[in-house]
Formats: sequence, C-alpha cells, structure tokens
Amino acid sequence: MNIQALLTDYLRTGAWDEMLGENSVRAPYMKLMNALGQLSVDDLQKKHVHASDLFMNQGITFTVYSDDAGIERIFPFDVIPRIITSTEWNQIENGIKQRLRALNMFLHDIYHDQQILKDGVVPFSLIASCPHFTREVHGIDVPFNIYVHISGIDLIRGDEGKFYILEDNLRTPSGVSYMLENREVTKRLFPDQVAENNVKMVNNYPLLLHSILLSLSPRPISNPVAVILTPGVFNSAYYEHSFLARQMGIPLVEGADLLVNNSKVYMKTTRGLTQVDVIYRRVDDEYLDPLIFRPDSILGIPGLIAAYRKGNVAIVNAVGNGVADDKAVYAYVPQMIKYYLNETPILPNVPTYQMSDPEAREHVFANINNMVLKGTNQSGGYGMLMGNKASEMEIDQFRKKVDVSPREFIAQPIIKLSTVPCFLDGKLQARHVDLRPYALCGPSGIEIVPGGLTRVALREGSLVVNSSQGGGSKDTWIIDG
Amino acid sequence: MLSRIADSMFWMNRYVERSEGLLRMLHTSYVLSLDKGSNVNDNWVPLLNIFTTLSSSEKIALSQKPSNIIQHVLLDSQNPNSLKTLLNRARENARGMQDHITKEVWEQVNHLYHLINNPQTEKQLLSSDQLAAIESLLKNCLLYTGITDSTMPRGMGWNFMSMGKHVERCIMTISITAEHFNSLGPNQEKARDILYWRSLLFTLSGYEFHLKNYRSAETDKNVLDQTVFNMLFPHSVMYSLERIKKYQEDIIEQNQPLAKADLMKRFGRLYSFVEFADLDTLEGESLGTFLWSTQAQLASFNQQFSHTFFSYS
Repeated sequence: MNIQALLTDYLRTGAWDEMLGENSVRAPYMKLMNALGQLSVDDLQKKHVHASDLFMNQGITFTVYSDDAGIERIFPFDVIPRIITSTEWNQIENGIKQRLRALNMFLHDIYHDQQILKDGVVPFSLIASCPHFTREVHGIDVPFNIYVHISGIDLIRGDEGKFYILEDNLRTPSGVSYMLENREVTKRLFPDQVAENNVKMVNNYPLLLHSILLSLSPRPISNPVAVILTPGVFNSAYYEHSFLARQMGIPLVEGADLLVNNSKVYMKTTRGLTQVDVIYRRVDDEYLDPLIFRPDSILGIPGLIAAYRKGNVAIVNAVGNGVADDKAVYAYVPQMIKYYLNETPILPNVPTYQMSDPEAREHVFANINNMVLKGTNQSGGYGMLMGNKASEMEIDQFRKKVDVSPREFIAQPIIKLSTVPCFLDGKLQARHVDLRPYALCGPSGIEIVPGGLTRVALREGSLVVNSSQGGGSKDTWIIDG
Repeated sequence: MLSRIADSMFWMNRYVERSEGLLRMLHTSYVLSLDKGSNVNDNWVPLLNIFTTLSSSEKIALSQKPSNIIQHVLLDSQNPNSLKTLLNRARENARGMQDHITKEVWEQVNHLYHLINNPQTEKQLLSSDQLAAIESLLKNCLLYTGITDSTMPRGMGWNFMSMGKHVERCIMTISITAEHFNSLGPNQEKARDILYWRSLLFTLSGYEFHLKNYRSAETDKNVLDQTVFNMLFPHSVMYSLERIKKYQEDIIEQNQPLAKADLMKRFGRLYSFVEFADLDTLEGESLGTFLWSTQAQLASFNQQFSHTFFSYS
C-alpha cells in the first residue's frame, strides 16, 4: 500500500484538514505518512488491537455511570498521532502563558479589591450572579498569589488552521494521565517514527508538578508533605489520581484520612498524626469542607477552609477558581488581558454572545442554524445545543430554558473544528479534534509540557469530542518546523 | 503508612482468608453429604451456623437442597458473609490502595472478583458440575496467598496483611472447633469415631496430619490437641497466635503507639491463657468456656489494635 492508496478513501469534510493540503500531504505529516504508506491495512489493524490490549491490561479505564452501576471502560484511542509544528506550538505556549497570567491576576483581584469591577471592565452583575463566585474565600491570601496551578485550556483550530481558545478549565482539569499514557503506547507502536520526527518529550510532567507542589509549602522545611486528595475509587477519574500519586511518589488520600486540629491539617497514619502542607485536591470546591460548603459532604474535611485561611495549608488549585472559567466570564478574558497586562491577546476567543443581553439573544435565535448554545456551568458536552443539528422542537424547548434563566447560557457561532486522519474500520478517515495542553504555574513561572491531550470526535460528522459523548483521544506530537 | 491503607491491607487479607475457609468448609460438607445415608442434613449445620445469620427453621429448609445452600453462601449478595460479598470487599480494599500492593497481587484479587461475578461461574455452581467450580475458586484463593507471599515486600504493609490473615484464621479455627464439639453433646461413642471428626479435619485441611501424628483411641482429645495446641499444624490456634505475636511486635516496635503497654499486656494475657491451658481438664462445659474466652480476648485485643492503628473511633 502506498500513500495514494491510503488517501483514496480519505474523505474531506469541508473543514480545514491538518494533514492534507489542497493537493498534497502537508510538510509536517510527510515523514509519518510515508512510513504509514509502507504498512498494510493488516499491520495497522494489529497496532490498533495491540494498543487496546495495552490500555486494558494496565487498567487505564474511566467509569461510566448508567443504571446506578458503574461500568469500567477504556478511553478509545486512535493510533495515528496528531502533529503540530514548533512554530505553531510557540504561539500556543505564549498565548496560554499570557492568558494564565491575566487569569491569576483576575482571581486575586476578584477575591480582594475587585478593581476590575470598580473600573467597569467586567460587570458586577456578571460576577455576582456566578454560582462559582465563592464569597467564603474572600480576602484569603494564597502562596505567591497563584490561584491556577494546574490548568487545561481547550483550543480548537478553525479555517486556515487558526487557533482559538474554546474554554478555560481552571478547577480540577483531568486527562493528563491519558496524555502521558498515549505517548507511552505510541512509543511501542511507532518507535522509529517517534525517534525520526524528534518528537518533544512530555514525560517530565509529574516531576514538574511535584516540584511545584513542594514549593508551595507554608512551612519552610526541607521535606514538606504533599498529598493528592481523591473522592475515592468510585470517581470516574480515579485511575488518574492513583497514576499521579504513583508517578510523584506522594500519598493518595481520601477525605476521611485527613483531619484538622488547631487550624492545621493532619493525616492519620499508623504512627499517629502527620502534618500535611500541600493538598492537590481532585475534589470539587463545594465538597471540600462541610462546615463551609455542602454540609452533607463526606468527601471533605471539616475545618479545612479555616486552616487554609490561616495559611497553614496550600490547596491546589485554589478554592473559588470557578468564577474565572465560567463560560460567560470567558468572554471577558481578552479585556482582562488588556486591563491587567496592557497586551493584546495572542490567542483569540471564539466570539461569544451573552444570552442575558436581549439584543444578542434575538440575533442568536435569528441565526440559530449557525450557532451553538452552551450552559455556562456545564461541561462534558452536556447541556448544549448544536443549532445546525437540532430539530425545531428541540430549539423551541431550549429557547424556553434560555428565556427563564438567560444568565446561565451563552452562544457561539459554530466553528468547523479542524480534522485529522484517524484509522477507523480499516481506512483513514477525517475526524474533528480539539487540543488540551496542560500548563503548570509555580513560583518560578509557567511551564507547559510540549504536547497535550488531543480529543477526537470519533462519530462521523460529530463536533463533540467529550469522552462521555463518543469521543476518543490521540497522541499529540510537537515536532520541529 | 496511612491508617486507611493499613486498614485495607488488614481487611483485604481477612476477606480472602475467610473466603478460603468458607470454600474449604463448603467443599467438605458437600462431599461428606454424599457419603452418609441417614442424617445427611447434619453435615451442613456447622457451615450454616458460622457463615449465615439464618433462623434454625430457615436453615432446615435450606438444607433440603444443596444448590440452595450454594446459592446462599456463595452467590447471595444480600448475605454479608457470602463469597460474593467477601470477594467484592477484598477487591474494594485492593482498589483503594493499588499503589501499595504489587501488580501481581492486584491482578489476582481482580481475577477472583471477576471469577465470582462471571455469570458462567454462577451457572456452573448451580449445575451438577459444582465441585469443579468450587475447587477452581479455592485454588485461586490459595494462589492469592502464594502470590502475596512471593511478591509483596516485607515492610509495614506485609505486617498488617499477615496480622489480618492470622487473626481471621485463628477466629475461624476456634469457631469451627467449637461448632463441632458443641454438636457432639454427651455422645461418647461418636467422640471416638474418626468418621465424625473427618468434617472438622478436612475443613482445616488437617486430616492427613491427624492420621500421621495421632494414634491413641481418644480421638476427641487428639483433635482438640491438634486444632488448639499443635504448633506444627498451620491452622491451629496456637500457631496463629504465635504468628500474630511476631507481627504485632514488629508493628508496635516500628510505630511506637501510645497504647503500646496496653496492647502488649492484652496480647500477652491471651497468649499465656492458651499456651498454659491444660488439655486434660478441657471437656464439656469447661471446653466451651475456654474457647469462648479465647475468642473474646482475641476480639478485644483486635479492637484495641484497630483502634490504635486504623484510627477507628
């Protein structure tokens, strides 16, 4: 089989394709496609099966809940890597760093003086009506004024491959273990290609994260205690929690393992109590401390926020970050960059209409066929409406919901996500993708490992990449060029 | 080590040890129920007394059909001591501490869990090929013991695992022995009949051991000597206590808990109570009191131990 044979079935979807240009394969993909041309369909099929086995045997699964019974499934993995050049990557890296600097300043401002509101750059009503604006943490000083230590900012590519920021995930973004495992599996599947393309390394992520966690310790001691707080084995991302704990060599704890005494946090060990300095929590804000947030939470630790307020423990990411990744607040991030940094945004937002603005609402529903409507506080591909796919009735029903509580919705023009080749049913097919790079922010600056999680909508024509909606993932290569 | 991890180590091993005991007892009762003509149903009494909480009329009803018993003690997830419940719990414990056990141990616990939850196994257990299925489950429990022994590092985790295993084994030997002496009553003839004791000996995998080591006609005394005092018999009370002694000493030594003196006193008292008991005076009522008191002391030591190391409140 040669390249031409590979490409004969490769259907264009009308969207911008990252691999195939007008008539020929784009330069970054040249080496890889030539190598794939040497393989038979059988070889590729074998690699596909081999990859699934590797994931299954290592128990790299997530849990899907239906009928009250959790089912463990593997996250579908496509064997063909996605390629991004280092020139493109530089733009992504600089854009994300800029954005995170502004978002960290915004969070500090919002929970202290609120200058940005007083200056009228972001409306008061927008913040006051945001369910994730956490009054309970107002005035708390966090180490180095860093709120977002770990972020997963989602990017998409539109026409001509232009990058846009799709959304900010600043609370407890997940998926980084897939980024790392995908690379390990790809190394087994295409060892020569990984070497020949000089693919940039991602596997130092756990080490970077570990050193950032330790650097946040409030006690100036040589061996501070950092832990990962998990909701427990029934959480859908439990695999990732235990993976990170193993990779960093720190304890994986549940809420019941910790207690607060005299505003200090301790973990219960067989030797008695050990003080904890840094908590990388994978538990949502509202479950963290039953004395402050939900009183029925058994995942949290009573008194934790009091210890946090006293500065006796660092919590990663900071509490209350949800106010900055609300989808309605998202629209104001370019203004924040201007306000705090006096810079122009390197990576643009997708144009966003606030449904609380009646004029915008009229405009959106007049052009509903080109619009996607999203709930401001929903994720995972739930609570959204694709205007080009929905029926009249679905649109009417959605409109009623929007009219009742317009603040909870935004709309964006539908952007045709770029496509990349996937090996499905024995042939190469174009599928839509997004990209989530993982940025780490510590006292010595922001670091982003070159790569990220590429999520792919495996259903033909689908633009929804979430794993709960039939999405899968790919390894992501950053190569010179 | 986190208290929760120590707790999970301890209980994972307790659950699998109990599963092994349950399976061996079920296997024995089943095989022996095929042998005797008359009081077939008696063979099930000790098993049902130990592993279920049924009323006596329910037990009689259940004993009419072995497949009902298998269903209840192996597959019924409503029964808190059924094999399914035990193995589910063992796996739940293992899942919460995957980073503390070896990959091999995790895979074996996972395998046991998938085995008992496989509809194919259930079908086989309720068919006429049930013995093969019971044997395969039993083998896998034994395999678990072998895998833990040859792969787990000998650190604090190992100490807690071993504690769990021997505490469970000790409690089971006491209950099973008590059950058999209890149902004997004042029947002197039966007491000397090795056929009566086969069920107990097979259940503790000590039948061959008995034949090789005991020759006199006082079978009941011999059986008691074997199950309680014989240090060479790995299911005897004394052997288990000797193991518990070693591991609790290691644990106390390395963790130096506040309750150190209290724990050591409690265990020392229990250990001497059994070590210096007089076999010749143990019969009838005094035997019952002795076994009951041993079990109660072990339970109270275990409670103090869990309280200290697992942060139970």
